Amino acid sequence: MYPLLDPQAPPAIVRRDFLKQLAAASAAAWSTGVPQAVRANSAPVAHPPAKADACILLWMAGGMAAPDTFDPKRYLPFEKGLEVARMLSTFPAIDTAVDGLKICQGLEQIAQVMDRATLLRSAVQPDLGSILHSRHQYHWHTGYVPPQTVACPHLGAWMAKVLGPRNPVMPAFINIGQRLEGVGESEELKAFTTAGFFGAEFGPLNLPFPEEAAVSVRPPPGMDAGRFANRDRLFRQLVDANPDRDRMSDYQRQSLLRSMDNAYRLLSSKEREAFDLTRESPEVQAQYDTGRFGRGCLLARRLVEAGARFVEVTTEYVPFLHWDTHKDGHETVARLHREIDRPIATLVRDLEARGLLERTLVIVASEFSRDAMMEGRPGSTANDQATFKVDTLGEMAHYGLHRHFTGGTSVVFFGGGTKRGYVHGRTADERPLLAIKDPVTVRDLHATIMAAMGISPQTEFSIEGRPFYVTEDGKGRPVRELFA
Amino acid sequence: MKLSLRLLLLGWVAPLSAAVDFNHQIVPLLRKHCGECHTGDKLKGGFSLNDRSALLHGSENGPVVAPGKPEQSLLLQLVASTDRDERMPPKGDGLSAAEVSLLRQWIAEGLPWEPGFAFQAPAYEPPLKPRAVPLPPPVAGRDHPVDRLVDAYLAKHNLPRPPPASDATFLRRAHLDLIGLLPSPEEVAAFVQDPAPDKRTRLVHALLARDTDYAEHWLTFWNDLLRNDYGGTGFITGGRRQISQWLHEALLTNKPFDQFARELIAPPGDESRGFSDGIKWRGEVSAGQTVEIQFAQSVGQSFLGLNLKCASCHDSFVDRWKLDEAYGLAAIYAEKPLEVNRCDQPLGRTARPAWLFPELGNVDPEAPRAERLRQLAALMTHPENGRFPRTLVNRLWHRLMGRGIVHPLDAMQSEPWSADLLDALANHFQQTGYDVKRTLAHLATSQIYQARSEVLRGDANAPVFAGPRAKRLTAEQFVDAVWQLTGTAPQKMDAPVFRRLPDAAAAASLPLTGQWIWGPPAPSAQAKPDGENGLLRTDWKLAAEPVSGAAIVTGGDGFTLYLNGRRITGSDRGEHVAAVPLHDKLKAGSNQVVVIARHAGPGPGAGVYFQAEVRLADGTVATLHSDAAWQFSPGGNAGREGRLGALPKNVQPASVVAASPARAEALARQGPPLLAQGRGPAGRMVRASLVKSDFLMRPLGRPNRDQIVSMRPEELTTLEALDLANGQTLTRALEQGAARLAAQPWPDPAALINHLYTRTLARPPEPSERRAAAELLGPQPTAPAIADLLWALLMQPEFVYVH
Repeated sequence: MYPLLDPQAPPAIVRRDFLKQLAAASAAAWSTGVPQAVRANSAPVAHPPAKADACILLWMAGGMAAPDTFDPKRYLPFEKGLEVARMLSTFPAIDTAVDGLKICQGLEQIAQVMDRATLLRSAVQPDLGSILHSRHQYHWHTGYVPPQTVACPHLGAWMAKVLGPRNPVMPAFINIGQRLEGVGESEELKAFTTAGFFGAEFGPLNLPFPEEAAVSVRPPPGMDAGRFANRDRLFRQLVDANPDRDRMSDYQRQSLLRSMDNAYRLLSSKEREAFDLTRESPEVQAQYDTGRFGRGCLLARRLVEAGARFVEVTTEYVPFLHWDTHKDGHETVARLHREIDRPIATLVRDLEARGLLERTLVIVASEFSRDAMMEGRPGSTANDQATFKVDTLGEMAHYGLHRHFTGGTSVVFFGGGTKRGYVHGRTADERPLLAIKDPVTVRDLHATIMAAMGISPQTEFSIEGRPFYVTEDGKGRPVRELFA
Repeated sequence: MKLSLRLLLLGWVAPLSAAVDFNHQIVPLLRKHCGECHTGDKLKGGFSLNDRSALLHGSENGPVVAPGKPEQSLLLQLVASTDRDERMPPKGDGLSAAEVSLLRQWIAEGLPWEPGFAFQAPAYEPPLKPRAVPLPPPVAGRDHPVDRLVDAYLAKHNLPRPPPASDATFLRRAHLDLIGLLPSPEEVAAFVQDPAPDKRTRLVHALLARDTDYAEHWLTFWNDLLRNDYGGTGFITGGRRQISQWLHEALLTNKPFDQFARELIAPPGDESRGFSDGIKWRGEVSAGQTVEIQFAQSVGQSFLGLNLKCASCHDSFVDRWKLDEAYGLAAIYAEKPLEVNRCDQPLGRTARPAWLFPELGNVDPEAPRAERLRQLAALMTHPENGRFPRTLVNRLWHRLMGRGIVHPLDAMQSEPWSADLLDALANHFQQTGYDVKRTLAHLATSQIYQARSEVLRGDANAPVFAGPRAKRLTAEQFVDAVWQLTGTAPQKMDAPVFRRLPDAAAAASLPLTGQWIWGPPAPSAQAKPDGENGLLRTDWKLAAEPVSGAAIVTGGDGFTLYLNGRRITGSDRGEHVAAVPLHDKLKAGSNQVVVIARHAGPGPGAGVYFQAEVRLADGTVATLHSDAAWQFSPGGNAGREGRLGALPKNVQPASVVAASPARAEALARQGPPLLAQGRGPAGRMVRASLVKSDFLMRPLGRPNRDQIVSMRPEELTTLEALDLANGQTLTRALEQGAARLAAQPWPDPAALINHLYTRTLARPPEPSERRAAAELLGPQPTAPAIADLLWALLMQPEFVYVH
C-alpha cells in the first residue's frame, strides 16, 4: 500500500487549500469565456459534510439487467416453448450476508459483502423516445440529457474541478477500460468522456487496458530513466538558452512550462508505480484477474490509494457486446457475473482492510436495466431492438433479457458514508417491473453521489453567461436515507 | 477535546469561496437596491452604475469604488452603514448582511462585469449599418490603412508602437498563419537573403496563392466554426451531414464570403446542407435543442458572433435578445409551425418567422420555407448589414493577431477596443467583394502584423491592444509540423474531399465510357410507371482497398447514390452531375453500388449515368460504369437515417437508353474534369486537417465538433503535456524521423543542429543553444539522440507558440 495518503487524515484539509487556489484562479479567468465558479442565488453554497473524498464508479456498460443481477424476480429455467412473456429472471435468487436480501446466482462473492452495501433498487431513467446507449450514458455521466448547447462535464470532471486533486502529482480523473477509438459509437462516448467546458485540465486520463496502464506514466518505450532525465534536462537548457526568452509572454511560457513540469513530475514520481499491476503479488493479481474488468478494479484500488480522486472502471461499452445483450442474454450475463463478482467483492474487502472504504464511495451502476418484453417503459414509442422477436423460446439464444428497460434499475453503493446492509426502493414483482417505491431519478442520483463527495448539488459555474449546475438546473436532491 | 475536533471536521465545511456570479448575483442585487436612482439616465448624485465604466467613473464627489479594494470603496461603506442619514439606499431596509458580503467579494475580485452588459440602454449597441471611417494621416510613412488606424489608437492611448519582428520571425509567422506549414530551410535562407524591400508583401501574396495549402490550413478554422467533421456525434444515425466537400472547394476557389454564407443558410443543394440542418438526435430533445433552434443558434453565432443560447430558452439576462427573437429566426427554418417554449414549457403560441434586424427588412412569414431561407440569406448578406462583415474580420484579426478587436469573438454585442479599425476592416472586406484572401493579405501586409509580438506580463484580458500576440499552434499545425519534420504523414485522408479543382488537362485522358441506362424497354410497361422510382444496382469487386478515386452520377428527375448501403450523394435535379471522392467509401472485395432515380413522368424519363475510377492500394486502377450489365428494379426503398432500405426482389436487366442531347452535352462537358479530380494531388502531403482527430490531436486542443468553437484553448494542460512527453503517436513519429535524419550524411553535428533549428524555428541556433544540443548529440549523433533533440525543440515555447 502507498503511504502517500494517511487514511486517518481528515479530507477537509486538502480541500480547503484547494478552494483558496480555486478562488484566485477564477478571479483571474474572468471574461475569457472560461467557466467561473459562482455561488447560488446570493447565498453561499454550503457544501454538505462528507466522509468520502474518493470515488470509484464500476460501470456496467450496455444496460445491466436488474432482474438478472441485483433485483431477482420469479425465476424460470430455460425450456423450449417457454412463453417469453412469463420470463422475468433467468437466474435463481441466492442469499446474501444480509438477512432477507437476495441477489442473483452468479454473484456469490458480492453476496458476501452486501452487508457493506446500500442497494438502490428504484433508479429510473427518462424515456428519450429512442433508446440509444451512448445518449443514456451521456445523461448518466453528466446529469444532462444530450444534446446541450454547451459541452457538459463528466461527473469525474466535476469532482476534479470542485474538489481538486487529492494528491497533486496524481491525475484527479482516471478512466479505465473503455477504448475510445475503433469501437462503435466511439464519438458518442468521447462526447461525455470529457471535462466539457471546464477544459482539458480536468479531463480524464484514459487507460483502456489496465495491464498497460504503467506504460502511460512511463517514459516512452525504449527510453531508460537516464535518457529520459537527459532529454528533460536538454529541454530546460534550451528554454534557458533561448535568446528571445525575455521577449516572450510570461503567462504563455509559464503555463507551458508548468504543465511540462507536472507531466515530468508524474513520469518520474513514486506514484507512477501505482499504475503498475505487476507490483502486486501474484496471489493478489490472481484474486482480481477475471479479465480486463477485474484487472481494472485492482488498478482502481491502487490509484485511489495513491491519491486519485475519481476512477471509473468499465466493463466497456461496445454495441451489442457485454451487457448490451440483444440476444444470448442469459449466457452472456453468466459470463459477466464471473467477470465482475470476485473483483468487486475483493475491491470492497481490500478497501475496507486498508481503512479506505469509509472515505471511498464505490458505485456499481449502468445506464438502464433490461427486460424480456418491454422496450423503454410502458407507453414508450422506442423501437424494439431485440434481435429475436419471438413469443416462445426456441433455442438458448432466445433466453435472456433482450430489451432496454428504463423503469427500474439497481445501483449498488459501498462505503463513502453510505449505510451498510440497506435496501432502498422497490420494483414490482410482476411486469412491468417498474420502481413502485421511492423512485430515484438520474438527477437525484447525481445529487446523492455529489453529496456523498461533499459537493452541494447546487454548485454552479457560469459558462457563456449561463449558470450551469452540477445537477440539472441545480435541482437535484440527495437521497438522504442512503447515508449512515 | 478530541471529540470536538471530530465534530468540527465532520461539520459543514467552510463555504466555497469561489468567484461571484455577476449575472445572477450582482445584477439582481444592484438592480433591486440601486437601480431606481443610478441606472439608465438616472444619475442621482451624479452617480450611475449603468455600466462598468460609469461605475468606475464614480459620482460628482469622486470615485465610489476601488477595484480589488473593498475597504477603500465608498460604495461598501455606504451600503453597510448603520447611520440612516448616510446609508444607501436611503429608503427601505437596505442590504442584508449576505448581500453586503457579496458586494464586498465582488469588489475584491476587481468588479468583474459581463462584457457589453449595461442595466439600461444606452448600453453599448454596435451599429448595425456599415460606418465610413476617415483614415488618420500616416505617421512616419506608414500609410497602410491598418497602420494609420492602429498608430492613431496607440497614440491616443499613449502606448508605444511595437518594434518590427525579424525576417525569420515574420517568415515563420506568415507561413503558419496563412498556410499552416513551417517554412523549409531553403525558404528561410532565400527569404532572409532577399534584399528586396517589398519581400514581405510578396511573401504574403505568394503564400495565399498556394491554393491547396491555404484551403487545407483554413479548413480547420471553418470546420470549428461550422462544426463540420469527418465522424462524430450524429453521423452514426444519419442525423448529420458533412459539408466537407463543399467547404474544401469553397476554400480552394476562395468563394466570396457573402455567397459562401448564402449557400450555408439557404443551401442550393445537398452539399452545403449540413450546417443549417445541424444535428438531429434520435429520440426526443429539449425545446432548446431542436434542429430549428440549433439553426437559430448556429446562424447567430457563426455569422453574427451572437450568443442566442440564452434567448432560445428565455429572454436573455445578459444581452438584448428575447425569446421571441430566437424563435423568430428558428421559425424561418422550421418546416411546420413552431411552438414557442420557455424553459421547455410550451407557451401555446406559434413563432412568427422573422429575422433579428428588421431595420433592413424582413422575411415574408407566409412565404414557403425555401424562399424564407433565401430571404434570410439575402438579409444576412445585405450591404447594409455591417455586423456580418465585422464578425468575420474580427475572427480573421484574431487568427492573425492573437486576440479579437472585440473579444471574446462571440460577444459581438460588446465594444471593440477600436471601432474605427473594426469598421474600416469590415468596409474593406465588403468593398472587395467579401474576399477573404484579400482581407488576409490586407492584414498581413500591414506593419503592425509584422511587428514583434507583445510581451504579456499582466492581465491578458485587458481590452487594450499593444501589438500582435503569440498564438498557440493549433493541433493541426503542430501535427503538420511533426509530419513535415519526420515524413510520417499518413497515406490516406479521412475527409471526403477532392484536394484539387477540376483540371482540363487531366480530363482529356478520361473518356466517358458508360451508357445511360434504365429498366426494360417500353413494352414491359410495369417497369416504368409514371412517377415511380427505379433502382439500378451492380456489384463492384475490388482487388484491394482504394487509396483515391472519384465517381460521377447523374440522371432521372433526381437521383440518390448509395455505396455499401450508405447514402452518399443525391440531387433533386436530374441534370445535376454529382461527383464524390471514393477513397473512403469502398473496400477490398465486393461493393454494392445502388442508384435510386426518380421518374416524375409522364412519358419516358431520363436514364441514369454512373462512372467511377479508383486507384487501389496495390497500385492498379479499377473502373466501373453504368451499362446493360446492371440490374434494374422498379421502386426502391430509400430507407432512413442515411441507410438504404431493403432491396426489391424484382430484378430485371437494365437496358441502355438514349440521353437527351442537353444532358449528354452537360455530362460530356462536366463529367471528365470532375472524375479527374479523383486522381488526387500527386505527392502532396496529407494534412492533419484532412484526417479524423486522434490521440495526438485531441490533447493538443482539437475539439469535438458537436458544438461551434471559435476559440480554442490557448494553454497546454498537464494531461496534454503527459501525452506529448510519452504518447505513442508522437514518439513513433520522432523515432522514424530521427532514423531518417541519422541516415543522412552531415558534415558535423553542428550542421544537423543548424538544420533542425531552421526547420523548427526558422532561425539558426545561438551558440549557447548549439552547445547544449551538441552535448546531447555527441560527435556521432545516433537516432535516439536526434529524436530527443527533436522532442526538446518541439516542446520549446518558441515552437509551441507562433511568435
